Amino acid sequence: MKMLSKIKKIYGAFTRAGIQDAVAYRASFLGFFIGEIFICFVMYFIWRAVYMSKGDSSFMGFTMTDMMVYVFMSNIATFLVGTDATYSIAEEIKDGSIIMRLIKPVKVDLSFLFFELGNKIMIIVCIIGPIIFGLELYRYYAIGHIAFKLSRFILFMISISISYILSFYLNLIFGYLAFFLMNLWGFNILKESIIKFLSGSIIPLAFFPEVISKIFTYLPFASLTYTPVMIYMEKYNGYTLAFNLFLQVFWLVFFVTASRLMWKWAEKRIAVQGG
Amino acid sequence: MIEVKEVKKEFKKTIKDPGLKGSVKSLFHKNTEIVKAVDGLSFHVDEGEILGFIGPNGAGKSTAIKMLTGILTPTSGEIVINGQIPYKNRKRYVKEIGVVFGQRTQLWWDLPLTETYTVLKEIYMIDDKKFKDRMEFLNDVLELEKFIKSPVRTLSLGQRMRADIAASMLHSPKVLFLDEPTIGLDVVVKDNIRKAISQINKNDKTTIILTTHDLSDIETLCERIIMIDKGKMVYDGSLHKMKDTYGKMRELNVVLNDAKDIGNFNIADKFNFTDDDYSMVSQGSELKLKFNSEKVSIASMLDYVLNTVNVNDISVKDADIEEIIRRIYKSEVKLDENA
Repeated sequence: MKMLSKIKKIYGAFTRAGIQDAVAYRASFLGFFIGEIFICFVMYFIWRAVYMSKGDSSFMGFTMTDMMVYVFMSNIATFLVGTDATYSIAEEIKDGSIIMRLIKPVKVDLSFLFFELGNKIMIIVCIIGPIIFGLELYRYYAIGHIAFKLSRFILFMISISISYILSFYLNLIFGYLAFFLMNLWGFNILKESIIKFLSGSIIPLAFFPEVISKIFTYLPFASLTYTPVMIYMEKYNGYTLAFNLFLQVFWLVFFVTASRLMWKWAEKRIAVQGG
Repeated sequence: MIEVKEVKKEFKKTIKDPGLKGSVKSLFHKNTEIVKAVDGLSFHVDEGEILGFIGPNGAGKSTAIKMLTGILTPTSGEIVINGQIPYKNRKRYVKEIGVVFGQRTQLWWDLPLTETYTVLKEIYMIDDKKFKDRMEFLNDVLELEKFIKSPVRTLSLGQRMRADIAASMLHSPKVLFLDEPTIGLDVVVKDNIRKAISQINKNDKTTIILTTHDLSDIETLCERIIMIDKGKMVYDGSLHKMKDTYGKMRELNVVLNDAKDIGNFNIADKFNFTDDDYSMVSQGSELKLKFNSEKVSIASMLDYVLNTVNVNDISVKDADIEEIIRRIYKSEVKLDENA
């Protein structure tokens, strides 16, 4: 407990700094928000065309309304778990400013994590309420009754929190590669597309052939956006729900440990750039 | 306080053949070369001492500082500071040191300056009262008052440097490392910063290690200097002693009544000077004469000059530290390890 309150005190300062930092750049947030909504609608119309041409009302257990909820929720989820960890740490390694973190008695990964949390909190609060409200309004008109359940929303928030930290560490490990590669641009694009595809944020994993879809759901990428969205949509229940939450925690522990080990190894071999 | 023994740091450097061909080749096969950035450095610093680290660019000063601050791990050798080994337990060690890298900043770029101090207060777990006292002291010494509410990105370089030094001193560290703290600053600001540094040193008995290219920093702050070149120590001792030992060159500034008189000089033959022993530069009727005062005393040189030409004004300049260092860098001065 004492340890936890110490962490809260020290790194809480980073979170508060992150919040103030985000406020300094609120205009860029607005542009980002409009862009995201725009993409949601593009995805929605693509899937609508798919459903209309098929004539069926349901595909692989997804109705047209489900698909609409999926498109918007997976976009929110992708946004919520999105992290600049790779870019931020790679940039600091590249220009050598990482040393300014090394001379402070803080853990490098936590200082990044808590700052980014602060950076995102405002945006999360602003974005998540209105979008979910709009979505549920649509769902109400489409199916005739209110489908929103508070318990599901809470489970979704728990799951997405795990997803975010998992995503942070996954990206951090990628960022550490900058110690060896010095420029990550190409690799980062490769990583982004792999994650987009395997996390189900473009096409629901349930749409893949059964064997492949099964394999994909066990991979860490599914824990990023697919799991929380399936929880929100009540596609995961009972045992499946518990198992997938467990899987998320498992991958989280795995990647935190891996990143810590990698950092330990890299720390001894740092060659600081410039100056 | 600080004990450094036979410390070495080697880097692997990739060598690329020139041109496009070399770039393609380096994709498949990398040639590496071991660069010795620091090569067997040993010294000892007492508590409260201010030590100046000087040396040309690429001499290994920054690498040495980075090892002392626990950022880099030495390839071999031993460093003990404050009873701790810097690179063993970084988080514990850095609690007791303060670091300023003149070319970088530890301030939060987009936030008002005071927020940086608030974050640091939490990081170092400084209690409210101590924080207040400390801020007052630093405010006094570094005059942060005027810009403490402004976002860091709007500060001038001089203000930023003062703020950075304050940030590194907030937790009253026992050792302060300053890597080029006056780089890029104007003379007045430099002077203020030097005053602040020496005041901090007196007030807290902080041990200070400072690297610089500005020799006035050294002259006003350091009783002791260590000069390194190509990773090796070439001088360790007081500035005063260095001037005595290596400062045998004296400079004579002469203004002649008649510029044509310059032709009368025949110094090389008269005193048997080699090219290393003297240099003469003239501009109009002004003459700058540097000579080796070990070979010829100042008195006899003055005598010679006054007898040879018609002098309007004459002055003798003491050993110029920049000149000494320039000569040491160029290895003109033979360095005696025991000197």
